[in-house]
Amino acid sequence: MADDFFAKWHGIDRAKITWGPVIDSDKCTGCGFCVVTCGEKRNVFGYDPEKKKAVVLFQDHCMVGCNNCQVGCLWNAISFPHDDQYVRELARTIPKEQLQKELKAKLEANPDLVRE
Amino acid sequence: MAEKQWHGVGRSNFVWHPTIDESKCTNCGLCLLSCGSGVFAWVKAENKYIVANPGNCAVGCTTCGRVCPETAITFPEAPDKFVKRAMSKYKVLPTVKKELQARLEKFPDHVIRGGDTGGEPGNG
Repeated sequence: MADDFFAKWHGIDRAKITWGPVIDSDKCTGCGFCVVTCGEKRNVFGYDPEKKKAVVLFQDHCMVGCNNCQVGCLWNAISFPHDDQYVRELARTIPKEQLQKELKAKLEANPDLVRE
Repeated sequence: MAEKQWHGVGRSNFVWHPTIDESKCTNCGLCLLSCGSGVFAWVKAENKYIVANPGNCAVGCTTCGRVCPETAITFPEAPDKFVKRAMSKYKVLPTVKKELQARLEKFPDHVIRGGDTGGEPGNG
């Protein structure tokens, strides 16, 4: 995976965005839901089989706005540094031209997402 | 093609997908860009974005709604309640355990030994 995939979020430096899971290892029971819920491309989590704990390996690879790992944690062991308002405010700063450029590329690459 | 599964449970068991409030939507397209599951489509003639493939939506995912600058996207229920109830109802954790093993076999560098203690030198 090219590193630049993770470097920007709609033109914004990903390093300037604080978004990613934090695990309270005292609460984690090691069920693995978070590990497998995160996609293979981002693959934010690792796993310690001896301690039976999930571990955050690449917090900055986390998809900005996604908290799918958190919502399925039965032990509420995962938190995020911000709520969705933080993400929404960030999204409002993305220039329209940036989105247009990305949309053009994505729709060209995925013609099935275009309806006449 | 076999039905898409959520931890061993057929996707069609779940009603989970975004709904766009057209009165709020400004057609910025960020939902389509944010979705990795192909839920949204662009309608060329009207230059607008629609929920075209609701069954593709990842169960419990609300990313499109969370990034939507206009708060124009809603889901059937709070995702944590929905997912946790589904996990209990369908007892998915044994399947999750198998999926975890498969993931770690595919990505062995994600197996961490020693965790917070910093690992053991010469491990392996």
